[in-house]
Amino acid sequence: MTEETEPFWAAAREGRLLVEHCPACGADSFPPYGACRVCRSRPVEFVEITERGRVYSFTVNHQRWLPGLEVPYAIVLVEFPGHPGVRVAGRLRGCPPQAAAIGLEVEVGFEPGPGGFAVPSFVAVPSAIAGPGSAAVDRTPEAGAGAGA
Amino acid sequence: MTGTEHFERRVVLSGVGQSAVGRRLDRSGFQLTLDAVHAAIEDAGLRVDDIDGLAMFPGGGKANLPGYANGNLYEIQDALRLTTTWRQGQVEGMSLPFYGPAQAVATGQARHVVIWRTVKEGSAARNAGGRPAYGSIHPAAEGPLAWLLPVGALSPVCQVAPYATRYMHEYGVTREQLAWIPVTQRAHAALNPDAVYRDPLTVDDYLASRMISTPICLYDCDVPVDGATAIVVSAAETAPDLRAPVAVEAMAGVVDGRPSWEQWADMGRVGHATAAALWNRTSLRPADVDVAQLYDGFTIEAVWWLEAMGFCGVGEAGAFVEGGKRIALGGDLPLNTWGGQLSGGRLHASFGHTAEAIRQLRGEAGARQVVGAEVAAVTNVGGIEAGAALLTRWRG
Repeated sequence: MTEETEPFWAAAREGRLLVEHCPACGADSFPPYGACRVCRSRPVEFVEITERGRVYSFTVNHQRWLPGLEVPYAIVLVEFPGHPGVRVAGRLRGCPPQAAAIGLEVEVGFEPGPGGFAVPSFVAVPSAIAGPGSAAVDRTPEAGAGAGA
Repeated sequence: MTGTEHFERRVVLSGVGQSAVGRRLDRSGFQLTLDAVHAAIEDAGLRVDDIDGLAMFPGGGKANLPGYANGNLYEIQDALRLTTTWRQGQVEGMSLPFYGPAQAVATGQARHVVIWRTVKEGSAARNAGGRPAYGSIHPAAEGPLAWLLPVGALSPVCQVAPYATRYMHEYGVTREQLAWIPVTQRAHAALNPDAVYRDPLTVDDYLASRMISTPICLYDCDVPVDGATAIVVSAAETAPDLRAPVAVEAMAGVVDGRPSWEQWADMGRVGHATAAALWNRTSLRPADVDVAQLYDGFTIEAVWWLEAMGFCGVGEAGAFVEGGKRIALGGDLPLNTWGGQLSGGRLHASFGHTAEAIRQLRGEAGARQVVGAEVAAVTNVGGIEAGAALLTRWRG
């Protein structure tokens, strides 16, 4: 955690995804640098992303890189139609890893990560995959779902 | 481009040396390094006292991940009892191993620079219980990997795999097509006594192998090994003193876009800026290249380089490699004739690729020699860092 990323991680604990927004040119970007990547102005503000994202690309990892790490799991890179320039990596939840696909619609979510941090993850939108339920997605970190590092 | 801007023409690659290379060697990294350095100096036709520059990849400190750097630049200098006028502890990121040394030699800061890279990754993997330890050391929320390690992208394979997913999605390239790269390179490795894997590999073997991180399977990954490679970069005017120099026609290393493993804007196309800069420095064209040593930490990286370098069109690499004929010995563009890192071993940072290019241009590649090889392409990585060079037979 750094001066630039502290607001992001603080919001993450509340299950909220903050990205940087430049008041000068209007561009959004991620991860936080405290400087706009488009027009280079400083400082920048934060804006919360609440809308659904779409999977830009993904991988399903089958190798157990750490003891106790359950495999397989899907890592997705998610983009947001209303926030060009933002791409966030996270694990995919809410569907089997094998259901990961480019274009899959996902909700923002967080899960516990190493060092007590809540890290971004994404929850497949039920209508996008086979499965019951239309319950609202719980955006807060899930206890016990982390990498355990 | 004017002549003065082609500083790389003032240098030659004069020597190459390698230690033993194996999955696990019971020798220290320091001894492997000394083996390679001595062999490279002798291969150049020089004496140890001729060396006045040293460089290694990576430098010390934080870069010393398990299996990475071994020894220390000053310890090697001490062991060789050298006086140096130029040193570099980090060879220009991973652009090209000889990039910084070429600049030093071209500007007169040194006349003969030895560069080396030593890996003990085979042993490190063994010590970690058979699993690669790379990347699993500090899965904390700091630095560029803060956004990858905590979500489970713990290895370079997980970081590169989404690029492959996106590329295959955009261009319809299949695993059956990509299989021909490791299969063909394994056939090349069978002709290289120093390659770690020399048994035949088939497309069926590839398709049946276990998945590591989709769409990257076991045979798409290079092989962790122990070994050292050293290369000597010399001033072109010293050519009369050298045994068999090789010319550097052009080189380039561009970092563009967003240098991050998950923010690269167009994951279907990497290495293109570097390749464009390379071709701007030479009148040679892709069709002039006789042999290609393209970085293959993963199969997909060789794919990107085939397209970025213009050996085929964007999205056409799958068709280009299918069947293996065009990239085999005797084909249009023999690829990674030493077996590459996929079969020859992960000597890293294109040291192995550069060593093979030198051998091919000298006509010293033995059973895998590309007859009449005059121009070789060498590339490194193809992502955040991308380096490319054209080497040519020395004409005096």
